[in-house]
Amino acid sequence: MFMNQFEYFAPKTPGEAFELMGRLGSKARILAGGTELVILMKDRIIRPECLIDINNIEEFKGIKYEPGKGMVIGATTKIADIQYSEIVKRKYYALADAAGEIGSSQVRHMGTIGGNSCNASPSAETPTPLVAYGATVVVSSATGEREMPLEEFIQGVRMIDLKEGELLTKFKLPEPSPKLVGRYAYMGARDANEIDFVNMAVTLELEDDKQTVKSVKLVMGSVFIKPLISTAVTALLTGQKFSDELAAKAAEATQGEAKPITDVRASAEYRHEIVGVLARRLLKEAFGAAQEV
Amino acid sequence: MGAWDQRENYVREGKPSYLDERRFTQVGRSVPRIDGPAKAKGESIYTADMVLPNMVYGKIKRCKEYAHAKIKKIDCSKALALPGVLAVLTGDEAPNKWGIVPASANETALAVDKVRFYGEGVAAVAAIDEETAEAACDLIEVEYEPLPVLLDPFESMARASEVIIHENAPDNIMHKGDQIYGDVDKAFEKCEYILEREFKTGRPQQCYIEPMSAVASYDTQNGLLRLWASSQVPHYLHRQMSIVLEMPMSKIRVTLPTVGGGFGGKGEAASSEFVACLLSRKLGMPVKVTYDRDEVFFTSKGRHPCYMKWKIGLDKDGYIQAVDFDNTLDKGAYAGWGVVVMFYTASMVHLPYKVPNARTHVRNVYTNKPTTGAMRGLGGVQPRFAMECMLDELAEMMGISPYELKMKNAIESGYTAINNMYTPHTEYKKCLQTAVEKSGYLEKHGKLPFGKGIGLAGGYYITGTAYTLYQSYKPHTSVTIKVDTEGGVTVLCAAAEIGQGCNTVMAQMAAEALGVHYEDVHVQTGDTEIGSFDLGSFASRLTYGSGYAIREAAKEINEKLKAMAGGVLGCRADQLIIKDRKIYSMFEPKFTIDWATVVQKYVNSVGALIATGHFSPPRRKGIDIITGNRVQGANIGHSPTFGFSCQVHEVDVDVETGRVYVKKVTEAGDCGTAVNPMSVDGQVEGSIVFNMGAALYEEMKFDANGKHLNPNFHDYKCPTFMEMPDMDTNIVESYDPTAPFGVKETGEGAVQPTFPAITNAIYDAIGVRFYEVPITPEMILKALKEKKEKEAGCGCGCS
Ligand SMILES: Cc1cc2nc3c(=O)[nH]c(=O)nc-3n(C[C@H](O)[C@H](O)[C@H](O)COP(=O)(O)OP(=O)(O)OC[C@H]3O[C@@H](n4cnc5c(N)ncnc54)[C@H](O)[C@@H]3O)c2cc1C
Repeated sequence: MFMNQFEYFAPKTPGEAFELMGRLGSKARILAGGTELVILMKDRIIRPECLIDINNIEEFKGIKYEPGKGMVIGATTKIADIQYSEIVKRKYYALADAAGEIGSSQVRHMGTIGGNSCNASPSAETPTPLVAYGATVVVSSATGEREMPLEEFIQGVRMIDLKEGELLTKFKLPEPSPKLVGRYAYMGARDANEIDFVNMAVTLELEDDKQTVKSVKLVMGSVFIKPLISTAVTALLTGQKFSDELAAKAAEATQGEAKPITDVRASAEYRHEIVGVLARRLLKEAFGAAQEV
Repeated sequence: MGAWDQRENYVREGKPSYLDERRFTQVGRSVPRIDGPAKAKGESIYTADMVLPNMVYGKIKRCKEYAHAKIKKIDCSKALALPGVLAVLTGDEAPNKWGIVPASANETALAVDKVRFYGEGVAAVAAIDEETAEAACDLIEVEYEPLPVLLDPFESMARASEVIIHENAPDNIMHKGDQIYGDVDKAFEKCEYILEREFKTGRPQQCYIEPMSAVASYDTQNGLLRLWASSQVPHYLHRQMSIVLEMPMSKIRVTLPTVGGGFGGKGEAASSEFVACLLSRKLGMPVKVTYDRDEVFFTSKGRHPCYMKWKIGLDKDGYIQAVDFDNTLDKGAYAGWGVVVMFYTASMVHLPYKVPNARTHVRNVYTNKPTTGAMRGLGGVQPRFAMECMLDELAEMMGISPYELKMKNAIESGYTAINNMYTPHTEYKKCLQTAVEKSGYLEKHGKLPFGKGIGLAGGYYITGTAYTLYQSYKPHTSVTIKVDTEGGVTVLCAAAEIGQGCNTVMAQMAAEALGVHYEDVHVQTGDTEIGSFDLGSFASRLTYGSGYAIREAAKEINEKLKAMAGGVLGCRADQLIIKDRKIYSMFEPKFTIDWATVVQKYVNSVGALIATGHFSPPRRKGIDIITGNRVQGANIGHSPTFGFSCQVHEVDVDVETGRVYVKKVTEAGDCGTAVNPMSVDGQVEGSIVFNMGAALYEEMKFDANGKHLNPNFHDYKCPTFMEMPDMDTNIVESYDPTAPFGVKETGEGAVQPTFPAITNAIYDAIGVRFYEVPITPEMILKALKEKKEKEAGCGCGCS
């Protein structure tokens, strides 16, 4: 219940943050929304000596969209800001949708998008659509920046590619093609405060004939140690005329790719089953939506 | 005339008021709750909010290594050496056994010699703050010798020769019993339709929002102990505290601050309460112990999982002839309410249908899991699940509607069951009828598209018990009413307001009985020193019990006021009526005087008016006057009267993901007179959602060593606002003439039909019957797969 004693720092600029991180090294943990970190501390799973609160750093916050260039989302942007952002809804619908499914209203107003990825939980909600939209992350330190695809940044369960002194500062989302649609779905036992058994995002674009798949990407969450991009779906559908049979076939293929585990929430067999259902439904839904644009 | 007179419910035309005991003005009003404003504003003080001068904090060291182990050694020296630590406590310092049922009491404040479930308390610490107390707990060193862990009741019985959980239960059976009424075997021989099934229920817990909390303050000068606690049973807590602390009850005072729910889980004492008192006595300082949520899960006394075998037989016309019921209950580690719950499951066979021959075998088996106990609708939910599902299946065998079968067998007012349980009044048939008509059940049942279903089930529950748990036949509830010119009307009773709304309905009933308004009445409950005696909030007993006592007390006060008024008005006292804050002649309106004026005159000339009324429930067991033989049955299970409920659930089953969505619930309930219809609706809606959770996902999970896997609200899933179905709850017209104000119960009857109604609806949706709850998405998918394989089966298309 009670956290260990720790020293608290609240830098106001990236420079101050990097300086602190360089100085404190592994003694310090980053505090974003704290919705995950504080629980781990209260359960005494971790006992950091120092916390560096990065919420006061303006440069790490906010949603910026530039037509033609895409979107930049600061790491400490609140999940709720993404859920309610008009531009996110318009350009990256599946991301706004996924943000709206995280925890409860309280959690969404505290938690950040950066924390959701840095936490590296396989069932996390936003990494799935972010990967589907081809997001990259920028990690920064006193010595410079690195940029990499999100699926490379997340390496496994609670493992991320972050070196000592580095911070995740922003997500970059490429400008989506005007005809690209994105859809998100999840499955859990109930509809609020749920940890997903499986979640999934699809982005899909049709040729002008409104039938042929120009591009498609399906990403699965909670069925592998990190977001899993289906290669089979892309291979099976690209350049093909979309049909229910094809969607069913693609969905079956995703079941072969997923590597779910059994835990207190659901069995591997059940997750396996659900992967197929969600894939089929999402592909059809995305196709329907793509026909409308 | 008051505004209430315009409400059609209250006006029964053509009868002078003195002839119509049912013409209520205060009972039947949907008034807002007394405790509502403070709760809505966040101003209510719960136990955990309390801070007393010099108060220190207690924390319990729990065994997180084993679910069953001998305690070899407890070393508290390092904990005591920690700065800020004031005292430590171990189980051997208070070895007296407590338990709500004295005959089976076997719990101690902290474990003595042995731990029997994961998370059991082994020691405690008092320190200047909670943080230090928690740190000190980590410094307590306990040496254990692990014992084999028994998690399943059948394994527990089978391996009893090798491992026993309690010395005095060599077969690991806490208690067992057989009850045989009529000739069951002979009756089955004559049955046309016989169905045998096995059922299993899960392990949900109550999930009250407020965790247990206790503040104790022992005064070393006068030897008085005060305890503020979050409890449903201040009296039983008081009694058990006296046993464990070896102090007379008169030296202990139990007070309830605001209580944040209980649903049975706070229906017996808690370790936190003993530990707070023991530490306070040791230190001479106030001590507070508040549980974390995981501690609530570790120690919660949730519902008994039941493993049930059933056989029901009907004659060719569909009348039930015989029921054979065998039940193995999972008791968990300690006895608690076990005997009671077990025999309730047996008595539930006898209502709300006529069962002329019945045989029950029940046993409650110890396992190394948290103790199971009283949970909303105690002992009723499990057998009701089975019976209502089987009647659905039997109706199908007969080719008639389940509604028809249930109507045919439903009891009527004045029914005496074969076990001697007596139902003075019932509108159960009206409940069935109303729910069926309002939901369109008959038009929809069996006719909805695949994946959509509708299910019907009924149920009932007691309105209080016939006995105290320690076999004393003193009145179960006493209410004192005080009327004076300063405080107005004050109702004093040591009852427990735990959020169910008893203070509000007590005020309404007192106002009704005294002829004043609800707004005129103050209610003082939850204090064993201030209030008159009450057994506690369980068994849906309080509205009836307190109503009876209120009516008695009010009668005495009214007589005094009428005598005074008669003198002032110059008319006969026995012709006076008190209503709407006035005292007037029932024959001549000119003789009218304000109630307050008469009170003032009475107080000025005689003094304050005080009267106490008592309620003792009727007894059914006893000696036959003619034969001299003991009359069997009707001890556990009997009640002054019974409440009834019928529910129709409409579900959508996602046949690909297996998720079940309860879309709409139509309920019709017989709660007698609805003292506060708004409160009744709240209770009923709450009841339905309560068991909807346990029907579909709520389940405490343990690993092979008995360790909890989901002791938090993140992984133990209760329904949230998002899962709330559309609700149509209906209060059927009902009045029990034997009851005070015609009342019955409503807090537990409406949980009874929920499991079977959902299960029957799922069957209607997908053609698969489940005999186990919770019915998870995984189970649905598996069953659908099996069904498909079976249908594909022989390949001849015969399915
Ligand atoms: C009740 C509840 C329900 C929840 N439901 C969901 C859900 O449905 N779906 C879901 O995906 N999650 C859920 N979560 C988990 C959590 O809220 C989210 O993962 C959230 O996005 C975490 O963000 P945060 O800002 O609070 O992270 P924090 O707790 O502040 O940080 C999490 C971890 O990431 C590190 N970190 C944070 N930001 C950075 C950064 N910029 N650079 C480097 N490291 C960083 C921290 O040091 C820490 O280790 C739930 C949590 C709770 C308490």
